[in-house]
Amino acid sequence: MMKLEKYLEILPKSLWVFLCNSGSCNGCDIEIVATLSPRYDIERLGMKLVGTPKHADVLLVTGPVTRFMKEKLERIYAQMPDPKVVMVIGNCGCSGDVFYKSYNLVGPVDNVLPVDVYVHGCPPRPEAIIEGAAKAVLKIEEKRKALLAEQADTVKAGAV
Amino acid sequence: MWEKILTGFGYWDIYSWLIFLAIAGFFTLWLRNSGRQDYKEGTYQDEIYFSGNDVPEDGADISVPADSAYWGFIKFFTPYYDFMAKFHNGLVQDYVGYFILFIAVLTTLIVFV
Repeated sequence: MMKLEKYLEILPKSLWVFLCNSGSCNGCDIEIVATLSPRYDIERLGMKLVGTPKHADVLLVTGPVTRFMKEKLERIYAQMPDPKVVMVIGNCGCSGDVFYKSYNLVGPVDNVLPVDVYVHGCPPRPEAIIEGAAKAVLKIEEKRKALLAEQADTVKAGAV
Repeated sequence: MWEKILTGFGYWDIYSWLIFLAIAGFFTLWLRNSGRQDYKEGTYQDEIYFSGNDVPEDGADISVPADSAYWGFIKFFTPYYDFMAKFHNGLVQDYVGYFILFIAVLTTLIVFV
């Protein structure tokens, strides 16, 4: 994190989000776009989609994970800097929904990545996605504090 | 040696440029330094993002050349290109010959038609 962040009590930056469609029908992606549209306008809260996981704090995943996307999804997650949270949008990503046990799926997203926020719906309404984002803020704040504590311990251990 | 040079539009002064470069350099380095520094070196966080795929060692392996878009066009006109290429043998005498022949045909057309 940035040097300045260490001295701030609250989450020092807005959520930047990277979207990965791991096998969705695109319905959830359309709702995410609606969340960005002027009617719901999530950018007023600072949240925005970014083009690379290296700039992202949150990974939005839509759809169940297909065998083809498993490795790519894992790599995308690994490329995100800490602290990071994973947010699953839609029933398919949360539970597999009607595609559960399909031959070409690895399964719901939590079979592949540690998921922090589940947003159900087929597709979920933009209000639900915004509520999920609010929960993601709390999660990432917890993780940031844990990370800072861990770093402080490391520094202390180094000094001793 | 380091005097101001008047250009008619202002002046060019080495010291002004050095001061400008020092200020610009300071802000550039400051901005660069304020970026994220907590990425883990030697992991995926350090790699180029390539849509989740392995980064290819040679870009030519996966790139599609732009002329692929004209494949059908080139295939259709191949007989024409082959025919035209035969004329371009690099001999100046031949080119002058084609020129004289062409002028003769044009003259004939202009005079007799």
